Amino acid sequence: MKRAWITLFGGILVALLAYFGFYFAGTARSRSLEKSQEPELAWLQREFHLDPAEFARICQMHEAYLSGCAERCHRIDMKGEELKHLLASTNTVTPEIEKALAESALLRADCQKRMLQHFYDVSRTMPPQQGRRYLDWVQGRTVLCESHSQMHHSN
Amino acid sequence: MKSQNESNSDRLLHQALREWEVKDRPLPPRFGEQVWRRIERIEAQAPATLWTQFLASISNALTRPSLALSYVTVLLLAGLLAGYLQARVEKAHTMEALSSRYVQMLDLYQQGSEK
Repeated sequence: MKRAWITLFGGILVALLAYFGFYFAGTARSRSLEKSQEPELAWLQREFHLDPAEFARICQMHEAYLSGCAERCHRIDMKGEELKHLLASTNTVTPEIEKALAESALLRADCQKRMLQHFYDVSRTMPPQQGRRYLDWVQGRTVLCESHSQMHHSN
Repeated sequence: MKSQNESNSDRLLHQALREWEVKDRPLPPRFGEQVWRRIERIEAQAPATLWTQFLASISNALTRPSLALSYVTVLLLAGLLAGYLQARVEKAHTMEALSSRYVQMLDLYQQGSEK
């Protein structure tokens, strides 16, 4: 009787150990990615098989791009605020509104142009095959993705 | 008063056991074992609940080495499979989250539109 209970609970214990062992072993790499200093870039390195030199160059480009990107986004926000005030003060499309809309569109186009340029720069830093894969993926998630076209329609 | 009665009856029982003896014939062979078997038979004849029957059948099955080994092996494999599948789902989820965060870092305007 005692032996049967030992087998019963021993089996359950073995199953639990196997489960947690495989689970922790299987998620070890993704957990280490999340704990790294910049998880998103660590993910990029792993996903596109970048060697340390390529990764270092891409990190530099990334930093440079982000500093300019924040500034451009700020200008877009400012233009948006200006447009909001103009729209609140009238019920027709005035030349000022037309100008503000055009400037806002230009800023957004510039933002997207620089983003695309960054993608090309990054892809060129990668091994050719990975670079092509990166471009396909990142363009699909940004300039070519549905949410972007929806955003443009909604604006 | 009650305890006094109990101690009196105990004393009488002890006395009766001391004085009791089997005369002219010895105890049958394996007497003790036969007594225990009778006890087990009587217990087995007692009405058992479904739960006790279930426990008894599991207990009986797991005392067989081949079944015990199969049971542990099946649980081990189930644990490994469940751990592997859960890890795969978790890993895919983490990778998807990190890739989305990478895109949002680059495309701040998209990030703003999703809020």
